[in-house]
Amino acid sequence: MSIKQFSKSFLAAFIGAAFLVGCGEDEPAAHPKDSDSQAFVSQYKAKEYHPVLIKNATILTANGEKIENGSILFSEGEIIEVGTDIDEPSDDNLEVIDAEGKWVTPGLIDVHSHLGVYPAPGVASSADGNEMTAPVTADVWAEHSVWPQDPQFQLALAGGVTSMQILPGSANLVGGRGVTLKNVAGRSVMEMKFPDAPYGLKMACGENPKRVYGGKGQAPMTRMGNVAGYRKAWIDAQEYMQAWDDYEAGMGNGKPPKRDLRMESLAGVLRGEILIQNHCYRADEMAVMMEIAKEFDFKVTTFHHAVESYKIADKLAENDVCSAMWSDWWGFKQEAYDMVPSNVALVDKAGACAVVHSDSATVIQHLNKEAAKAMTSGNRLGMDITPAHAIKWITLNAAKAIGVDDQTGSLEEGKMADIVLWDGNPFSVYTKTDKVFIDGALMYDRDNKFKQPVSDFGLTNINSK
Amino acid sequence: MKLLIKSLAVLLVVATTNSAKAETILIKNAKVHTQTSAGTLDNADILIEDGLIRNIGEDLSSSDAQVIDASGKVVTSGVFALMNQIGLVEVGAIEGTNDAATEVVGLGAAFSVDEIFNAKSTLVPMNRAGGVTRTLIKPYNGTSLFAGLGSVMDLTGDYDSLIVSDVAVFATYGEHAASLSGGSRAAALHDLNRAFTQAKEFSNNESAVKSGEYRELDYSISDLAVLSRVLEQDIPLVVSVNRASDILTILDFAKKHQVKLVLAGVAEGWEVAQQIAKADVPVLVDPMDNIPGSFESLGKRYENAALLNKAGVRVMFSSETHNAQNARFAAGNAVAYGMPYDKALAAITSLPAKVFGGASNYGKLMPGFKAELVVWNEDPFEVTSFAEEVIIDGKVVDLTTRAQRLEQRYKDISTDQNTFYRK
Repeated sequence: MSIKQFSKSFLAAFIGAAFLVGCGEDEPAAHPKDSDSQAFVSQYKAKEYHPVLIKNATILTANGEKIENGSILFSEGEIIEVGTDIDEPSDDNLEVIDAEGKWVTPGLIDVHSHLGVYPAPGVASSADGNEMTAPVTADVWAEHSVWPQDPQFQLALAGGVTSMQILPGSANLVGGRGVTLKNVAGRSVMEMKFPDAPYGLKMACGENPKRVYGGKGQAPMTRMGNVAGYRKAWIDAQEYMQAWDDYEAGMGNGKPPKRDLRMESLAGVLRGEILIQNHCYRADEMAVMMEIAKEFDFKVTTFHHAVESYKIADKLAENDVCSAMWSDWWGFKQEAYDMVPSNVALVDKAGACAVVHSDSATVIQHLNKEAAKAMTSGNRLGMDITPAHAIKWITLNAAKAIGVDDQTGSLEEGKMADIVLWDGNPFSVYTKTDKVFIDGALMYDRDNKFKQPVSDFGLTNINSK
Repeated sequence: MKLLIKSLAVLLVVATTNSAKAETILIKNAKVHTQTSAGTLDNADILIEDGLIRNIGEDLSSSDAQVIDASGKVVTSGVFALMNQIGLVEVGAIEGTNDAATEVVGLGAAFSVDEIFNAKSTLVPMNRAGGVTRTLIKPYNGTSLFAGLGSVMDLTGDYDSLIVSDVAVFATYGEHAASLSGGSRAAALHDLNRAFTQAKEFSNNESAVKSGEYRELDYSISDLAVLSRVLEQDIPLVVSVNRASDILTILDFAKKHQVKLVLAGVAEGWEVAQQIAKADVPVLVDPMDNIPGSFESLGKRYENAALLNKAGVRVMFSSETHNAQNARFAAGNAVAYGMPYDKALAAITSLPAKVFGGASNYGKLMPGFKAELVVWNEDPFEVTSFAEEVIIDGKVVDLTTRAQRLEQRYKDISTDQNTFYRK
C-alpha cells in the first residue's frame, strides 16, 4: 500500500472514530462500502473425493524443483505432502496411483482467456466479449457474459488447465472486469468462480481502442487520445473514491453517494483490491502505462501480449509487473511486428515475472508446449532453462499475475490440490494429460470416458459420442 | 563500446560463413528420414554436389567438402508449407501490405499471385529459419467462390523464387460459400455447377466465345480458361469444405464434372473417411484445430488426420502464414493422436509435391534429387527442436531473421541501454 493511501485511510478512520459516537471501538463502520455487495460471489464447492497418493512420478513443483521418483499426497482438496519419502497413510479410501514414467505438475493456469465470452460455435449471437459502446466500460463484468456450456472449457481441461482468467476484449481503454474461474462444470458462472480470487480490470493500449473509436470519429483516435482517456477515467475515479471515503468517515450529510458501477471498478483498483490486466504490445506504451500508474498511485499487475517486454525487461522487474506472452505470435498487426521467440526467456532472465498465456481456445490446450518452445528459444540464446524452471511460466507466475499464487500454482503443502498427471514429459509434443485433478478431485481422465465432461453443446454431434 | 565491437565481430563471422556457400557439402553421421524404400537410416552421410544429393550412405568422404557434423541430429527434406500467404502478406492488418485477396467482382479462378510474391518479405527468412524451404501460396476468397490460383515458391529469398506456377484452383463451399452466394449452400452449389458447365462450353467453343460469336457467359474469359484447365485435369481443384454432408456433396460434384479434387479444411472428414478414400481424393487438414467453431465443424477432433489416414486417405497438413514453420509441431500433434510418423512427415514434404508438383526432384532424400533438406537438432516434430542448417539447391542458406537481430540487440539490455547503435 502506498503512503498516500495509507495516510488517507488512517485519517478517515481517525475522523470516523471521533465522529460516530456510540459505536464500539472494535465495531466496523455502520455504513456499507460501495464494493461490499455480496451479489455474484463464488458458489463453487470442491467436489468431494477420496485421498490420492501419486507415487514414482517425476514431479515439477513449480518452485524450481524437479523430484525424480517423487510422491504427492492430497486429500480434501489440499496438498498434504510432496517429496520422495512419503509414508502411505493407512486410509481405506486412499487411492494409490503408480506413475512410473509419468510426470506431475501443478494444474496449468491461463491468465488470458475468452472462453465462455467468445464460445464455440463462434456465432455472432453468442459473441459477448467486447462491449464496444464506449471507451471506458469499467462497469461491465466478463462473468456476466460467460456461457458455462462453452465446449471449449472441456478442451482446455484435457490440456491440463485448472484455472483461468476470463477477460473482456480489448476494444476499449478500460474494457471491464475479468473473472478467475476454476475449470469445473457449472450451471452458472457463480458455480465456476475461483473462491476469493481478486477481480482483474482489463485495460488496452495501442491500436484497438484508437481503431474502434477513431473509426467512428470519436475519441480516442490516437495514442495520445488513449492516454488522455485513461487519465480522465482515473481522475473521475479518485473523486468517486474520495466521496465514498468521506461518507464512510462520517463526513457530509450522512447520505451515501450513488453507486456508479463504472467508478466502482476503477476505485477498486485505486484501493488495491482489483488488479490491472493491461493488453499492451509495445515497450514504449508499457512504459507510459507504468507512468500513469505512478501518477494515480495504483499498480499494473500484468501486461498482456507484451510482445515487446524484452525491450524493457529491466523496468518491468523494477516495477514488479508481470508480462503474459505468447511463444511466437507475430505480424498480424503492426504492434505485433517486433516479436522475438525469446521474449518470455529474456523477461524471465531480467528477474521479471514471465507468464505464457493463450488468448486462444487452441493455444490454451497446449500451454505446456508453448512454454517448451519459449524455453528452447531462450536456451538457443545461451540460457540454461530447464523444465523445472519453465513450468513456472504457466503455473506459479500465472497465479501471481492474477493474484492467486498464495492458493494455487505450485505443489506445496496446504495449497489447492490442482494437479496434472502427464503421460510423459510435458515439454514434449507427444505428451498428453493422463488425469487432471481440481481441488483434489478427479475432473478428467483420458482413459475413462465417464470421467470426461461434456457440455450441453458438446452433445450436438451424435457421431462424437 | 567493448560490447559493440564484440557484437560486430560476431556478425562478421556469421556473414563470412554465409557467403562461403560451399558447392560441396558432406553431412556426417545423421539420422536420415529418406522417405524412400530405404526408410530411415540411423547413421548415414549425405554428399551434396552442384545442388544435388550425390550420395547417401555410410562412411562417405570428399576432399574439398564443407563438413557438417550431424551426430545425434536428424535430417529430413525441407518442410513444404501449405496453403498460406507467405510473400503476399507482411502485416495482416495493414491493407497496403496484404495482397492475399481481391474484392474485384469478376476476378475469381484466374486470380493468380505468383508474380506478386515478395521474396524480400521478413516472413521468408522467418519461416526458412524454421526449416520451411518451399511453400504453396494461395489467395483467399474475396467476393468469388473461387479464391484463385496457388503457386509453389521456394524460400531462398531470391527474386526468382518460383518453383511451379498456378498449380491448383482454390474454391470454397459450405457456410462461407453460402454467404458469398446470397445466403444458401444451394445457391453456392448452383454457382459452382454453372461455372464448370460454362467452362465446358468455353472449351468446346473457345474461338467463338473469344470472338464474341457465342452467347454471353457469366464469367470472364480468363476465369473460364483457368476452369477449363481444371476440367482437362491439368490442375486440381482444391475445395475448402468442413461439414460431412458438404464433403459428400463436393465429392459428387467432382465426379460429375470429372475434375481432380483435393479437399481442404475437412473438419468432419473422419466421419466420411471411407467415401473420401474411395474417391481417392487427397486432403489438407490442420491437425491443431479441434474447436467446434461453427455448425459446419461440430465433429472436429485431433484424431481427424489419423482416422483419415487409417481409412487410406492421403493426408497433408496446412499451415498458417507468419509461423508456417509450426506445421512440424502440428505434425507432432497428429502423431500424438495416432498418425504414423512417416505419414505425418510425408504430409509436410513428399506428398504435397506429388499432389501439387515438384515431386520429380524434391521430397525424397536420394541420389539425383535436389539437395533441399534440413539438419535438425532432434526430431523436428518436437517442441524443443530447431533447424541447425537449412540447405536449398545445395547451398547452406542464411538463417538470420529480423527477430534474431532484435534478440541480439536486446539480450544484454541491462548492461547497455544504447540499443540504437547495435545493429
